[in-house]
Amino acid sequence: MENPVRNLQRAAEEYRQKSAKDKKRYWIDGILNNALYILMAIFVVYTAIEKPNFLTLGSFANLITQVAAYLPMALGIAGCIVLTGTDLSAGRISGLTAAIAGVFLQKTDFVNKMFANLPEVNDGWILLTLLAVIAVGAIIGMVNGFFVAKFSLHPFIVTLSTQLITYGIILWFFSLNGNNSQPISGLSREYKLFVNGEMFRLGNVAVPRYVAYAILLVALMWFVWNKTPFGKNMFAVGSNAEAAKVSGVNVFWTTVLVHTLAGAMYGYSGFIEGARSGSVAINTGLNAECDAIAACVIGGVSFVGGTGKISGIILGVFVLRIIFVALTMLGVDSSSLYIIKGAIILCACALDMRKYLVKK
Amino acid sequence: MEEHKETQTEEQLPKFRGLYRHVKISVKALDCIIIACIAVIVILVALDLRNPGFTIQFDSRGGTDVPSHNQMYGERLEAPEPPTREGYRFTGWYTDSACFDPWDMENGKIECDLTLYAGWEKLE
Repeated sequence: MENPVRNLQRAAEEYRQKSAKDKKRYWIDGILNNALYILMAIFVVYTAIEKPNFLTLGSFANLITQVAAYLPMALGIAGCIVLTGTDLSAGRISGLTAAIAGVFLQKTDFVNKMFANLPEVNDGWILLTLLAVIAVGAIIGMVNGFFVAKFSLHPFIVTLSTQLITYGIILWFFSLNGNNSQPISGLSREYKLFVNGEMFRLGNVAVPRYVAYAILLVALMWFVWNKTPFGKNMFAVGSNAEAAKVSGVNVFWTTVLVHTLAGAMYGYSGFIEGARSGSVAINTGLNAECDAIAACVIGGVSFVGGTGKISGIILGVFVLRIIFVALTMLGVDSSSLYIIKGAIILCACALDMRKYLVKK
Repeated sequence: MEEHKETQTEEQLPKFRGLYRHVKISVKALDCIIIACIAVIVILVALDLRNPGFTIQFDSRGGTDVPSHNQMYGERLEAPEPPTREGYRFTGWYTDSACFDPWDMENGKIECDLTLYAGWEKLE
């Protein structure tokens, strides 16, 4: 490891040797390249001044739980972005798996139970449901991956169609057994405990168990990305598919597996989301992929392909959540939040391209 | 001469890979986009801060109209004057139109825009 202090000294020395024009350029570059972080810092400082309870342990716990809830989808979608693609079906897939998990894990004595004959909810049944919804997500992801890999169809087209197909399945699923599109509620206590159960308290806010699951998931994804041949192949295909093919990488299977893994992540997100929000509605998970994609791009998983780090994704999710937690506390209207989200995505992409251009 | 210049500048624009491969853009244009986006975000936030809070709407479902009002994040709901309806008794505010899920007046906190529905019980 290089000495960070010496690095800083060297940077300062280089800066001193620059001409006045270069110095100005250096500052403009610095401000523009970090525009989103600076914006976040301004919001944080402003919110902290206006709302003193923003800078408390409880509010930090709230931030961590939100990050833990949004992180799995971003980890999944990042793989697709590394392959220069994207995934528009993520939100709907998590909505479908949330609905399936909800129905499987409703209270046994709930009056409006959709399927009356399901077994009583215990730990074994919860784990079985978790595996089932991960499998459902993985299968849809595999369909995405197959069409992208086999016919070189653009992921936008493929995942847009699976998004709509999945929505159709969700609508159909919600009208089963005379449910008539009503939200699925009455989730069992065991399921809520499995996901939302308190591990410890920060301030006076409980930190739920899914924060620990998210940490495990990060460790798993870090291992897959950095230590397995599959991860290395993924980056190779992302930066240059032709070159990867020539050097013996199986491009077809790598693409299929990346999408399958992403699908499994969305399945898991749905499982968590169901218990987190307490009931599952038709629009659960709607537009969730936008947040995930934005987080990835902010975190340096570039649309150029073949670049990205797990730590970057975590940072991206954190930045996005901090901005939204701050804005919600300030009382910014939810319709404005959508416009802000759109502007953040556009800005993050422009920053992404800018870094690429300036480096050249 | 001018034509020659144009082709030259076009060649100077570096080629992107991946999803951006058809993008032709200069650093200057990107700077403008970034600044514009940040400006939009800041202006929106500033506009919302002038009239902050979340809108709570009340759907009286056939009863007398209840005006909506704004409340800040984390506050408890300020209950409005209950609506009246001929032949019915008001049973409280619900979060769903089927009047299944009552709003928790004690512990419920405002975290987003909200529409509440009036619950009615038919008088015998």
